[in-house]
Amino acid sequence: MAAAGAGAAATTVVALSAGSAQAKPALLRGKGANEPVLVLVEDHKAATLRLLVGDQEVVVEDRDLVTRILNAAGGK
Amino acid sequence: MSSHREAPEIAKDPVADSTDVYAFMHPTEPDQVVIIANFIPLQQPNGGPNFYEFGDDVLYEINVSNTNKCRPDVTYRFNFKTEVKGNSFLYNNGVIDSLDSDKWLRPQTYTIVRVKNAGRKNEQFERIGDTFKVPPVNVGPRSTPNYSDLAEAAVVETGGRKFFCGQRSDAFFVDLGSIFDLGALRPFQNLHLLPMAAMDGINSVQSYNCHTIAIQVPVSDLVKGGNPSKSPKDRKNTIGVWATASRAKARIFNEKQGKFKNRGPAVQVSRLGNPLVNEVLIPMGQKDEWNAAPINGDSDYASSVLQPELQGLLPFLYPGVFPNLAAYNKPRVDLAAILLTGIPGGIVPGFQNYTGPVQADMLRLNTAIPPTPKDSDSYSIYGVVGGDLGGFPNGRRIEDDVTGIELRAVAGVTIPLVDPDYEPDGAAALLQDGTTNTNEPLLDEFPFLGHPGGGFQTVPGTTSSEDPDA
Repeated sequence: MAAAGAGAAATTVVALSAGSAQAKPALLRGKGANEPVLVLVEDHKAATLRLLVGDQEVVVEDRDLVTRILNAAGGK
Repeated sequence: MSSHREAPEIAKDPVADSTDVYAFMHPTEPDQVVIIANFIPLQQPNGGPNFYEFGDDVLYEINVSNTNKCRPDVTYRFNFKTEVKGNSFLYNNGVIDSLDSDKWLRPQTYTIVRVKNAGRKNEQFERIGDTFKVPPVNVGPRSTPNYSDLAEAAVVETGGRKFFCGQRSDAFFVDLGSIFDLGALRPFQNLHLLPMAAMDGINSVQSYNCHTIAIQVPVSDLVKGGNPSKSPKDRKNTIGVWATASRAKARIFNEKQGKFKNRGPAVQVSRLGNPLVNEVLIPMGQKDEWNAAPINGDSDYASSVLQPELQGLLPFLYPGVFPNLAAYNKPRVDLAAILLTGIPGGIVPGFQNYTGPVQADMLRLNTAIPPTPKDSDSYSIYGVVGGDLGGFPNGRRIEDDVTGIELRAVAGVTIPLVDPDYEPDGAAALLQDGTTNTNEPLLDEFPFLGHPGGGFQTVPGTTSSEDPDA
């Protein structure tokens, strides 16, 4: 999973599960994407995630997921 | 120019840059409409080995509105696919004598889908074809001899429609170098604030090519209900036309492949209806967002039409020449009618191309007005302003001098249409940039635009770096 806005010169690899060690590991469902996905958080204060996959855009409202991504992007 | 490199973002993305749109009744088949959308501006014909081509990652569309909602009711959608043959650094390794030549190492094909009600619940798709061929660019007499035969072979006729996608000579003519040097018009530059001797204009677009998407379709393909009438007063006969180019919302650079990968849906990055709107009327800070905006939101930009900056500049740059224009302080509803809503009935005798109150930048073509023969006394490259109802802003023919028409309109020639008490300045009806169409000759038949200049045949320009003050 790639986070939009990552610097061109350096790439930080962060395990997303690190910020949610207490959570159960998610299981991939049958309808889950099986190709690269670009995650876009346009407003870090909002709950909206935009997932760009193939030629589609999936808009997700999930403040908790936004927070976890922000933490991951910050290296936490 | 009409819309070549007209906005900061699209100037960095020429493959998606729409440069001109034309829409006119076929000169000899009056039940047919011709629409031409040009992209990829200012191509030097000798730009090899990576010659110009349509973008495989760009969605090109010709859109038609046939209701008063100014939204795409009929769309012709074009997608391109480029094949790379062999392992050469060359575009071709021999004579390209047909569209199937194995000497052509970078052929391009395209698909056409006709969409009704694009983006709406009742969207319908008609797949017209998926292996149509783009002709090669005009490389030169060794690589692409008999270029006209190659181009002719790329004209597709199917289902009563014609299509052509490929390189053409740009047909727009304008004195770009003069106009953007503080609004100078060479024939009148003796009257400029910074005067120089008057002279003929210089066509800045001469010898440049572009890439053209052209369609010729029955009027019934485009008007609401598919049933046009013969009456110019019948509102259903007027269609609105504009072109768009769209790209995936995101691109990620794949370092291993050295290429971008697209992600997400196609989003509009360029649009064009009337010539020169984004170029001349929209302020620099709004040009990019205008390109991405839907046309039926153009009321957001109406103030730039109602109070055009150029109207204020003309009296300043040409002191004493435009006193009446300088004193005119009413909103330019004449320009709004021409560019944003169409001209209602009762203003120009025998003419209307009004599409309702929704403000949208479209070429508006009244399909019930027959084409004006070129040998007719009423034919004028100044279109409706010149008394010829067959020309701009009733659609746009290739020969129409839209720079001259819009200069004259902004200078006040069209104000009396809505404000009969206004008397235009004497100079307003004479304005022009002094250029004529010195581009490649037009064709008498579809796709009408002239053949592209060849790389071998093209002589470089006249810019002198040794004497920049000359």
